[in-house]
Amino acid sequence: MKKTRDAVVIIAEAQGDETAPITLELLALAREIQLAQPCKIRFLMVGHGTEATARDLARRTGREVVAVEAETLRDYNTETCLEILQEHLPGLSPRFVLMGQTPRGMDLAPRLAVRLGAGCITGVDALCVEEGELRFSRTAFGGKISLQMAPARSITVVTATPGAFTAPQESVSSQGSVRLVSSARRSARSRTLGIIEAPRQERGLSEADVIVAAGRGIGTRENLALIERLASVFPRSAVAASRPLCDQGWMDYPRQVGLTGATVSPKLYFACGISGAVQHTVGMQGSGFIVAVSRDPHAAIFRIADVCVVDDLEAFIPAFLALCREE
Amino acid sequence: MKILACVKQVLDSESVFRIRDDSDWIETEGDPRYGMNHPDEFVVEEAVALKEAHREVTVDVLTVGPHSASQVLERAVGMGADRAYHILTREEGYLAPFTVSSWIAGFAETRNYDLILCGIMAEDDMQGQVGPMLAEHLGYPCATSVVRETCRPETETIRVEREIEGGRRELLEIALPAVLTLQTGINRPRYPSLSNLLRAKKEKPELLDPARFPMPEDREQFLRAALPPAVRRGVVLEGDTEQKARELHGILKEMAFL
Repeated sequence: MKKTRDAVVIIAEAQGDETAPITLELLALAREIQLAQPCKIRFLMVGHGTEATARDLARRTGREVVAVEAETLRDYNTETCLEILQEHLPGLSPRFVLMGQTPRGMDLAPRLAVRLGAGCITGVDALCVEEGELRFSRTAFGGKISLQMAPARSITVVTATPGAFTAPQESVSSQGSVRLVSSARRSARSRTLGIIEAPRQERGLSEADVIVAAGRGIGTRENLALIERLASVFPRSAVAASRPLCDQGWMDYPRQVGLTGATVSPKLYFACGISGAVQHTVGMQGSGFIVAVSRDPHAAIFRIADVCVVDDLEAFIPAFLALCREE
Repeated sequence: MKILACVKQVLDSESVFRIRDDSDWIETEGDPRYGMNHPDEFVVEEAVALKEAHREVTVDVLTVGPHSASQVLERAVGMGADRAYHILTREEGYLAPFTVSSWIAGFAETRNYDLILCGIMAEDDMQGQVGPMLAEHLGYPCATSVVRETCRPETETIRVEREIEGGRRELLEIALPAVLTLQTGINRPRYPSLSNLLRAKKEKPELLDPARFPMPEDREQFLRAALPPAVRRGVVLEGDTEQKARELHGILKEMAFL
């Protein structure tokens, strides 16, 4: 194997004392990069109380984990985290720095890229190799097209869409290693005052067998009644929405499905007037069976649907309900 | 206090388009509709609301785009922004976020803004990079995905709540000048008023040639636009509404959902 000093460095995220799922998904992307271009894979974790998670990560992956323990990050703070990353990343000789397209990754990645003089490719959902060169795919225009990007600098910061890569199920032969370092850096420009807990989750969504979800394509608020009536014909059903509807105040945020809302996997997901942008689909792509109704034949939701209905909701739903009533 | 609101013109999400033969970008079909990037409507509203809540606040609005993009500046002035600036680019096509953010930084660095507001991302290229990169170019702190802010000009700070995983919020106090990217839903954007729209028609935006700013080298290469692969091979129902409804009803009954 070609000897190289280049590394893929994964910025690890923790969920409590455990490794966040996105971090292991990033390992899958790192291994795809490694297959095309031999390199080391390292994890870098920055935070307070990182040791337990770092050991968990090293044990699960058999890889090298560098954990920067910072008392100053007892409450997470982006500005402080950036300063620490900027200090410790160059020593790990990264060619790629991988993060999740998560609220934290989206906050850090573009700024870190500028500081490192690096390229930045966000929202990546696939990697392909053309004649040994890496090509990153990311969706655009609400998921209707994808943009193919290539690195052009010695370092590229990449964020990957949650759920786009599957965490590897590998048997780990090595114990891995953990290197703990500490940092006392603190940003003077920003102070974290605390965390505000989420409003009560809508339990109905996680327990429902069938979710009928409405998007911007339903047109008017009055059409929500149609969505409710459609849901009522299915046993154990619930009504949900995409973000734009909640922003308009047509539905409460606890009913929002997607990146910033609930992640659901009902047996049937019935999407009405939903365009299928990745911010929504990451929250429902694990559903058992997906029916999509939209007026727009090019809507991205049709790429993940099992049954595609190109029609006007105001005509289609009443026609469907009439058939249910006939029984 | 001086506020800069950054806005972008995008193709309406329901307009029909296809990938150009050279795969270099998209081309529209039929009668394409363009408008203000939806997240940027919240940016203009937040800026104008700050102007109404505090004394001596001015709101500048800036776009980077082709000639037609002046429509979004007109809308922003219609909503209550004071002055409009337009960094005029060649016609539609891919522009790297690093380039756009460098130009905006070049524009902003001598104008001493206290607060710069951007949308969380553009609906077309969906990169979410321009706001945070702009903060870096200017050396300002930044918060993304902001769902509430309380500006305290007297102490030169701003308190923000930013959305993090699972609907939780991070509460921060940030020193001004700062850059915020706003999450949708932070406010209810107003409609432009007639009097402001008339003013917008009269006072044209100041046009700026991007050549006056340094053109940075590409930090990543945009190769081509392509159709994403279908994840599931779904059945597309055929026929009129009645036939499609009947077929779906049959499928769902067969699968015991009904």
